[in-house]
Amino acid sequence: MLFQSMKQGARNGIETTLMLGKIIVPIYFFVTFLRYTPVINFIARIFEPLMNFFNLPGEAALILVMGNLLGLYSGVGAMEALSLGTFEITLLAIMLNFSHSLFVETAVSTKLKVSGGKIMALRVSLMLASGLVFGTLAGGVLTQWM
Amino acid sequence: MDVTAVFREALFGSLSSVFSIAKVVIPLMIVMQVAKDYHLLDHLSKYLKPLTDFLGMSRESGFPLMVGLLFGLAYGAGVIVQSAKEGNLTRKDMVLLSVFLATCHAVFEDVLIFSAIGANGWLILVARVAAGLLVTYAVSRRLDKTGKYGKVSLSNQE
Repeated sequence: MLFQSMKQGARNGIETTLMLGKIIVPIYFFVTFLRYTPVINFIARIFEPLMNFFNLPGEAALILVMGNLLGLYSGVGAMEALSLGTFEITLLAIMLNFSHSLFVETAVSTKLKVSGGKIMALRVSLMLASGLVFGTLAGGVLTQWM
Repeated sequence: MDVTAVFREALFGSLSSVFSIAKVVIPLMIVMQVAKDYHLLDHLSKYLKPLTDFLGMSRESGFPLMVGLLFGLAYGAGVIVQSAKEGNLTRKDMVLLSVFLATCHAVFEDVLIFSAIGANGWLILVARVAAGLLVTYAVSRRLDKTGKYGKVSLSNQE
């Protein structure tokens, strides 16, 4: 019985890894190639003022957009391909943890008969608020500490 | 740009990311499957009464809360719908569970995956759970004040 459970768990783990791989590998390729084109500098320059407010580099906007539209692990793929530091990864992880795959997960809330719009607004506000707290306010301390 | 070099960089980089994630996801899934098969959550959710009381939820919310927190939103939602059908949850429970789980779900999986790619997992965990509790508490108080959502379960509405 225990062995059966563990085997099933390992199978689930491998399935989850493959599922994540199918998302992370293409996104990683996409972002790596993007990094060698002028497009990334363009994105970085446009979002620089906004992202700098959170103590993040401009190209981090790409990660937030991908995470929110495509899902948390697309954000992971993009994050890895941009090779950021511990502070940036942690801050982006916190922000994305609050708000990701908005379209898919909001559908789950609606299934529970709870307003999808309100839940979406809550999550995006939490993303921005956490960026403000951990990036803008505590960013200086955290970069030293990490 | 040297296409083959970029291709190689992308290939090795992405595969090593997936590999570091596999190292945390597979053991985690084994532990979670054992927990599921041995009904560990049934036992654990008994100890959640102080938490559900604090959040203004009924006692029966403990189990779906725990499931969503550990196993994720989709799975948690399934359990919530099931409990609601059995008539164990109030409308307020449903709203509060949705709010809590929207901010805070599948915590171990997400925290471990981000730790695997170099984030500080503790900070993520603390930030997420604290925010979930705070927001849910605030919404709960607000619902009490406005007097919305009495003891009506989903099955009674239908």
